[in-house]
Amino acid sequence: MLFNSIDFAIFLPIVFLLYWFVTNKNLKLQNLLIVVSSYVFYGWWDWRFLALIFFSTLIDYLIGVKLLKEEREKKRKALLWTSIIINLGFLGFFKYYNFFIENFTTAFSFFGTKIQANSLNIILPVGISFYTFQTLSYSIDVYYKKLAPTKDFIAFTAFVSFFPQLVAGPIERATNLLPQFYKKRTFDYTKAIDGMRQILWGLFKKMVIADNCAEYANIIFNNSDNYNGSTLFLGALFFTFQIYGDFSGYSDIAIGTSRLFGFDLKRNFAFPYFSRDIAEFWRRWHISLSTWFRDYLYIPLGGSRGGTWISVRNIFIIFIVSGFWHGANWTFIVWGVLNALYFFPLLLLNKNRQHIGIVAQGKHFPTLREFFQIIITFGLTVFAWIFFRAENIGHAFNYISEIFSISTFSLPDFKEIYRAYVTLGLVAFFMMLEWFGRDHEFAIEKLMINRSRILRWSFYSFIIFMIIMFAQTEETPFIYFQF
Amino acid sequence: MKKFIILILKFSIFLLVFYSILIIFWGRFAPAILRPNINFTYRAYGFTYSRLNEINNFKNIDILFLGSSHAYRGFDTRIFNNAGLKSFNLGSSSQTPIQTEILLKRYLDSLNPKMILFEVSPLTFSTDGVESTLDIISNDKNDLNSIKLALNQNNLKIYNTLFYSYFHSIYRDLFDEKKYAEDIKKGNDIYISGGYVEKQFKLFKYVNYPEIKWEFNEIQFSALQRIIELVNKRNIKLILIQAPSTSNFYNAHTNNLEFDDRISNYGIYFNFNAISKLDDSLHFYDAHHLNQKGVEILDNDIINLIFKQKFIIRE
Repeated sequence: MLFNSIDFAIFLPIVFLLYWFVTNKNLKLQNLLIVVSSYVFYGWWDWRFLALIFFSTLIDYLIGVKLLKEEREKKRKALLWTSIIINLGFLGFFKYYNFFIENFTTAFSFFGTKIQANSLNIILPVGISFYTFQTLSYSIDVYYKKLAPTKDFIAFTAFVSFFPQLVAGPIERATNLLPQFYKKRTFDYTKAIDGMRQILWGLFKKMVIADNCAEYANIIFNNSDNYNGSTLFLGALFFTFQIYGDFSGYSDIAIGTSRLFGFDLKRNFAFPYFSRDIAEFWRRWHISLSTWFRDYLYIPLGGSRGGTWISVRNIFIIFIVSGFWHGANWTFIVWGVLNALYFFPLLLLNKNRQHIGIVAQGKHFPTLREFFQIIITFGLTVFAWIFFRAENIGHAFNYISEIFSISTFSLPDFKEIYRAYVTLGLVAFFMMLEWFGRDHEFAIEKLMINRSRILRWSFYSFIIFMIIMFAQTEETPFIYFQF
Repeated sequence: MKKFIILILKFSIFLLVFYSILIIFWGRFAPAILRPNINFTYRAYGFTYSRLNEINNFKNIDILFLGSSHAYRGFDTRIFNNAGLKSFNLGSSSQTPIQTEILLKRYLDSLNPKMILFEVSPLTFSTDGVESTLDIISNDKNDLNSIKLALNQNNLKIYNTLFYSYFHSIYRDLFDEKKYAEDIKKGNDIYISGGYVEKQFKLFKYVNYPEIKWEFNEIQFSALQRIIELVNKRNIKLILIQAPSTSNFYNAHTNNLEFDDRISNYGIYFNFNAISKLDDSLHFYDAHHLNQKGVEILDNDIINLIFKQKFIIRE
């Protein structure tokens, strides 16, 4: 089920009313309702893969229970590895099987050996990368005794399958989310209103910004051979805002929806396009994944404790793995390497933590220095996104070489150019609101909050009107569903 | 919780009022590029406004034509009238069975035809029909059927346009805009009283099409079934006709026979791609629309068929 669908618009109020009016007296029943509605939500896409989530849930639950009783280190380690192998095994099979088969075949044929290997027509279960990482974090935390394993199977199933964040995050840690299923939830008016505001902003990001940018990004990327450099640059810009609107929009809707049910999810985006260097960008982009890699990969590898070069090695490893996590394609790996290369000078100069706070906090505009820092960081990000969006490495290089050709000095030119300019206007409006709301959780959290109700409601109604006026008429899935 | 639900209800009412006011101004004053989801095609193309404006002048006709542009650009009411067959063409832009059903509910009883010629093109059975719905809600009176149509198609553009159309019809009545008739000549098209649209004579340049398969939309077949039931109730003869296309265009589609088989199950059906002798260059102005010479050939073939098969007895 998509957040931007009529189905969800009907589903959400029904679950909300059942949750607060029918099952509110009994915590177990409330958790059970979450499980059932989450399975309905997921099964709406393809019910066959419910078995996969259930199996993954069962395995990690049982391993958690075993870890509680088991004191022998060898056995405990074996249990942890069982969880890792099963979870990553599923992920590897569904997501990477064909990639490895094709690359092995190519590699062997390069050395003159022909091997016969068949790729399979595998459907990638939506959200598998997200819930796999979520359940893995549980097993690892239980193993390291950071978290007491749960004996409550319903609460654990609700934690794994919690519908707002099941298919595209934020990737929750058991330490944060699981305990919330043990406690009685009481309806919090302020939290619910905040949740509604965040859902509204998420829908605007997805339906107005991302989907409209997607239209032109797709036209330009899919026919890149026909366009001049400036048009291709415009295409890269459209994709840059598409992916931000799409993914951060999803996160906003997920966090807002969770608030309606009394849950607090992790923040996943913090205005990344206003970052002053790439290290700051990665502290603000897909925060739940970056911190997952930091805690479960970077730190176990030694983090920054072994000196600069160990630190550099570890950074390259997490960026490559992060790229590969996004998809089974060399383009994602190059995207990861590119980001590691951006990071490299900051690490060498020990300047990777110089921009921790909010840019130009308390001021309307950044300083000239900050402005150029933002522009440079944004430019580097746009460049890297070209690899992320391209069909293959060759496509990305051709695309970039045209951008760096003389044709970039001519005006952008494609069939829908005037409509595309309207979309750029919408992006400018969006980024302006993002700038003025950058010291809050999400852009419109506190915007107009001190104004009269009529002004505030007019503002929200105008945002809804923009969605009604500019949304694409066909429901479009979120980009990160494919990861 | 109670406070929250009351607030949501209050805001919903506020939103409805805000939306109603803004959509009127936005629809009226914003340039088309800034209102992609209001597609108000009032008097825009296809002469649907003129056709519906004069429909009440036609009663107890012999033949009612229905269908997409293949119908209103293919069935020349003058040729049929000359053959003694009083006719009206209720075709409209991209009309699919979903809209045909609505138009029949509105006008069938007043037109009271002896027979209906319904142009069934695989093209209209392969679309969702949004374009045609927009055309009809922009140019026709809107009633409960329009709301049903919008709900069935569930498209943001349709909802917005329908809402704006309600406002526009009030505006139209207030300022008596009806007294200004639609221009009967637009570009190369001339509207002929009775619903036909004549295209300035043009020949077609040969084009090759890649092979493609029609992807049928099942809701159109369901609508066709309902149309048949509606017509049968009134004992009106219904003939299904596929108007001809250029051979290259027609043969590029690999599942024409599947379409013929399916449509034949619904009643009497003639595919004029196999009946009329037409030349791609001489008798068409584009891949699937006849020029006036082609129209004359097709219409005379249909008239001969009507009398030969005794669908209507020549008096």
